[in-house]
Formats: sequence, structure tokens, C-alpha cells
Amino acid sequence: MSARAAETPEPTAADAKRQLIDFALKGGALTAGVADATAFTAAPEGHRPTDLLPKAKAVFVVGGAQPRAADWQSPMASFMEASSTADRINALGLKIANSIERQFGYYALIVPAGIDRGGQPFVSVALAAELAGCGTKSIAGPVLHPEHGFMYYSALITTLDLPADGPLVEPACPAPQCVDMWEQEGTTPCLATCPIDQGGCLGGRIEDGVIAETQYDRARCTTRAQTYWVPGFQKALGAALAEKDTAKRQMIINSSGFTRTLWSMTYSGVSQSQCFECMRVCPVGQERRQLK
Amino acid sequence: MSFFFVDPDTYEKHKDAVLAESQSIQVNYVEHLPPDKRKPGLSDKQIGEKLGLDERTVREIRCVGEREFYAIDEYERAATFKETQCRAYAEQGLSAITKQYVDRARAAKKGA
Repeated sequence: MSARAAETPEPTAADAKRQLIDFALKGGALTAGVADATAFTAAPEGHRPTDLLPKAKAVFVVGGAQPRAADWQSPMASFMEASSTADRINALGLKIANSIERQFGYYALIVPAGIDRGGQPFVSVALAAELAGCGTKSIAGPVLHPEHGFMYYSALITTLDLPADGPLVEPACPAPQCVDMWEQEGTTPCLATCPIDQGGCLGGRIEDGVIAETQYDRARCTTRAQTYWVPGFQKALGAALAEKDTAKRQMIINSSGFTRTLWSMTYSGVSQSQCFECMRVCPVGQERRQLK
Repeated sequence: MSFFFVDPDTYEKHKDAVLAESQSIQVNYVEHLPPDKRKPGLSDKQIGEKLGLDERTVREIRCVGEREFYAIDEYERAATFKETQCRAYAEQGLSAITKQYVDRARAAKKGA
């Protein structure tokens, strides 16, 4: 034990948690919570907290950095395609990780926002958010906070044994309006926006007011959420290489779509997610988006 | 140093099985569903064990298969979809989606 550590008594785990949550909220988070690092049994092997940090005890999750109310109102889809704020919550997550290491002397590893070699998340931040009680998974996929609705999350894995919150008891989805709509129309706003049986990505069923089934076309969602990003670039590059006519090939390379893709990849932090249509119509947190 | 990629014949032979097992189209994938209802799909390692392939080959087949699943036209449709939905919401709000539902509910109320 260092001389400095000997002078200052180590805070209890509950105190440490309270300090970290205060730090997160002061830093702009709308929610924060703790998941037990061993609770990720639903995640595939190789994608659990202890796979990244073997002695992990807890996963600290912060949520926030939502699109502003005005963002949702813009009629220009390309605006939100290029204005994601996910990087802000990751920056806050990184600050908290630094705080855990410097202030408390425990390892804290931030779950990368990107994907591994197999195109999978290193650890599902969505699952971490659920297990930390920050929100619950919607029928459309994203984890919704009961009051604020859609938001971004950042998760950090730590050897500091923080008391876990565990999942919320009451799911945020479906909202009462959606249950009502389901009972009368057999659909919900998000499912009606992007129906899997009509060329969309989402399907599902509500039973007794709770989600009973979900369907998600990940490949189609990729074409919408990453239209002008790496997948779109690979498609356009493939088309350019396959084109034998030099003049036509040049048209593809200099096209607005190909150019947009390159711009998006350059500013990747703000353009990794390019489709918000299922969340735009989600009633959870909707009242906070209605301003003057 | 060579660049690892899967032989096209191997890819064609196994891509449908790999995509099916990995649940590229996910049905009841989500973690909070009861264990008896949940179908999480298999990991690349598990698929490899089932199909007699190594994990890296499965990973490559899955990644290429997921990218090839939809043709480039779908990206064009995606852009149109977003523009249409976004503009409709800006003009009509939630009722862009729920209008039909609201209209029917109002008609039912009037009829009652």
C-alpha cells in the first residue's frame, strides 16, 4: 500500500458508486448505473466483460447525449445522418474510467464504441445498459430510458467491486400508447414505420402488455443505419471496380453517393448511425422533444 | 504477407447455413426474453463446430455474407425511405404514422 493510500481511508463501494454517479450526472449524463460483471450470461462467449478484463467485478454505464429536440424536428434526414452525439457519452465514459483508476486505484477499461474483427461489439453496451438498470430494450432494438427514451450509452468495465443495480423491473417499452395501438391495429409506431414484412427491418408481437416476440433484419438495418458509411462504401467500390467503361466508372467514383460515403467515413464519430426513423416516432420521452 | 480471405467456392457452399445459424435476420434474439423463447443464434465458433469449419473461416463467410445480403439498390431505397419518413414526421408529427389509427379511433368514438 502506498503512503498516500495509507493516509486516506479507502471509500466503501457504496460511497465510490455514489461519487461516480454524481460525477457522471455533473458531466452531463442523464442516467448512470452499475451491472454485475458476471451477469452477462446472455452474451456470447468472447463478448463478456471478463473476456476483456479478466478480473472485472462491475460494469459502470452512463447514458445521455441524446439528439436535441430540434434534431428530431428537422425535415432533412441527412441532418441527423451527420450529427450523432454518441461520441460525447463515450468521452464522459472515458473521464469516469480515468477517475476510477486515479482516484480509487482500480482498473477501468472502456468498452470501445467500435466493433471487433467479426463486426460484433466487444461487449454489448445495450445489454450493459439493461443490466445496469439504465433502461430496457425496445421492440425496435435500442435501449430506452423510461423517462428520456432513446439515448446513447457508454460502458466501462472495472475491477472496482461496485454494488450492482440490476435490470429495471418495469419495461420502458411498450409505452401505454403502443399497447393501445397494438390492441386496436396490431402494430406500434416503430413497427409501422419499418415493417419487416413490407421491406423494413422490424417485426414483433405484444402480449399482455409486454414484448412477446421480436424480429430484426440486421442486414437491411445496415443499409439504412450505415447507408453512407463503410457498408455503403464497400458497395459503391464494388460497383466501380465492376464497371468496365472508364467514363462510367469515373461517374460512380465522383458521384454524390460515393462522395458522401467518403465524407461520412472521415467524420466517422458523428456518422456511424444514420437512421433514426423507428426512434423518431417512439412515444417514450416524446414529451421532452415537443418544444415551442 | 498474404491477405486472408475465403475461397469463393467455400463461401458459396456455406454462406446460407452460416447466415441462418448466426441469425442475420434475428427472431427473438433479445436478451430479456424468457430462456425458452429466446433464440440467440450461434457464435462463429459454435457454427464452425457444427459445419466442420474453423472459426475464422466462419467469421469471414458471415461478414461477407452479411454485406452481400442486400444489393446496392437497397442502399438507394434506404436513402429514399429516410427522406420520406423524416419529412412526413416534420409535417405531421407522430400522426404521420398513427393517422390511420387516430382517424379510425375518432370515427369509432363518433359512432358510439
